[in-house]
Amino acid sequence: MTKWFEEHLPKLVLAPSFIVVLIFVYGFIGWTAWVSFTRSRLLPRYELDGFIQYDRLFDSPRWDTAFSNLFVFGFLFIVIAMILGLILAILLDQNIRTEGAIRTIYLYPMALSMIVTGTAWKWILNPGLGLEATVRGWGFEDFTFDWLVNPDMAIYTVVIAAIWQSSGFVMALFLAGLRSVDQEIIKAAQVDGIPTWRVYTAIIIPAMAPIFLSAFIVLSHLAIKSFDLVIALTGGGPGYATDLPATYMYTMAFSRGDIGQAASSAMIMMAVVFTIVVPYLYSELRTKDD
Amino acid sequence: MAIVAQSTRRGRISRATFAWIVGLLFFFPIFWMVLTSFKTDADAVKPEHLFFFTPTLENYLNMTENYDYWRFAQNSIITAVFATIFALAVGIPCAYAMAFNPARGTKDILMWMLSTKMLPAAAVLYPMTFLTKSLGLFDTKFLIIVVLMLINLPIVIWMLFTYFKEIPKEIIEAGQMDGVNTWGEVREILIPLAWGGIVSTALLCFIFCWNEAYWTVRLTTTDAATLSKLIEGNRAPEGLFFGRLSAVSTAAVGPIVVLGWFCQKQLVQGLTFGAVK
Repeated sequence: MTKWFEEHLPKLVLAPSFIVVLIFVYGFIGWTAWVSFTRSRLLPRYELDGFIQYDRLFDSPRWDTAFSNLFVFGFLFIVIAMILGLILAILLDQNIRTEGAIRTIYLYPMALSMIVTGTAWKWILNPGLGLEATVRGWGFEDFTFDWLVNPDMAIYTVVIAAIWQSSGFVMALFLAGLRSVDQEIIKAAQVDGIPTWRVYTAIIIPAMAPIFLSAFIVLSHLAIKSFDLVIALTGGGPGYATDLPATYMYTMAFSRGDIGQAASSAMIMMAVVFTIVVPYLYSELRTKDD
Repeated sequence: MAIVAQSTRRGRISRATFAWIVGLLFFFPIFWMVLTSFKTDADAVKPEHLFFFTPTLENYLNMTENYDYWRFAQNSIITAVFATIFALAVGIPCAYAMAFNPARGTKDILMWMLSTKMLPAAAVLYPMTFLTKSLGLFDTKFLIIVVLMLINLPIVIWMLFTYFKEIPKEIIEAGQMDGVNTWGEVREILIPLAWGGIVSTALLCFIFCWNEAYWTVRLTTTDAATLSKLIEGNRAPEGLFFGRLSAVSTAAVGPIVVLGWFCQKQLVQGLTFGAVK
């Protein structure tokens, strides 16, 4: 009995959470998929009716904005956070005595919830209250920084707040990576008189390729989850300029009473995640352990 | 070890100064928020009162008296602590089994569980609200604890697994030779050896639970409402009451910032998902 128990322990322990995840994730996704092919409005209906919701979705200018915002936001956020994180890591990797404390400060934003981040930045970016008003108060009357209320620029304020939140995290990952590069090779390169920037671009950064991949996975995960950040910072506005697919879906389901639209947008979101992120996740986790 | 261009004393000090200036920039939004929380709502919107103002505790008093801060804080603590304990209670045996007793397929299951974390939660929200309301679980601490535990479980298991893997198998096997049973192995050998990693994992899980807003805001109304819900409720649509909002936000992040400062090592380990050991 104990023998059997020990042999099957992994499965026994995993089974309940496995089943719950199975029901909650796949059951609900299945439900969403079904509803996306119906004429559901305020209440779910279950008679299938082809691609009508998807046609409506692709005809909607609001969805267009939300969908392209996802790529603008995701791309800028991931690329800039990685570059900034790398620069900060190299900066901290210079034998700074108080490194531990600085590292914690850089990492702090990551420990804050996205609604708090959104709140803090909403304050700073608000033209009437924050940075613009302060700089004008110092005598620079022409200083303008109104991205938060400018429909063309508002999405970039979301990028700024998101980068602030996670570049410290990327820094910590890269810092660990910098320390794990083989010191012998670096010393040899320095003895050969190769300039420092070449040592970084030709030796150290290529050696950290797996860390770039991990950072990419976590950052894309955060980009998908930035729903709360958008809600707290801009609420999707001005107008619907900073809508992301997640906020679009939320608005449709809970304030517009249009479950069909919500379901079809959720399915598109899911398709995007599956095609971009999941393959990376799998390849990463597989190579790590074989 | 670092590669350093020139290690002159002056160069090192100037780099340290620069790093601290960047650190201050990083901390500035938090600092601004804390500062604003001690201003009246009227002062908070006046740029000339950015640094010079008469500090007031009005916002905090208002928050504890009229907004029942302690009830929200208590809910946050209860849900985060219990979700963390349950996640570890399931995660430790799970990660133990996978690290020392791997069966074919366990790793695939774990990868699959991790991949579900990438799915947009928005797709699940509507049916979830619908179901919990009809089961009478909506707005209960029980529901919040279960949800928080489940969404963090994949990360908890994964992190514990990476720590457990570093423990030599021989130590566990030696325990088995001595006739220690599984529970004894976990309690007497595994937990003491991996204590640092377990603490980091617990801290990470706690922070994630504490910060969770998506589900806690949308699956509660009053009884199980956490601090995230309190912040959400104080976000006036016109953007007024910044003093009050800042006080609420400060009171919500304060415990994490203080806790993090005293457990810096675990904070860094945890927030980097164990990449920094």
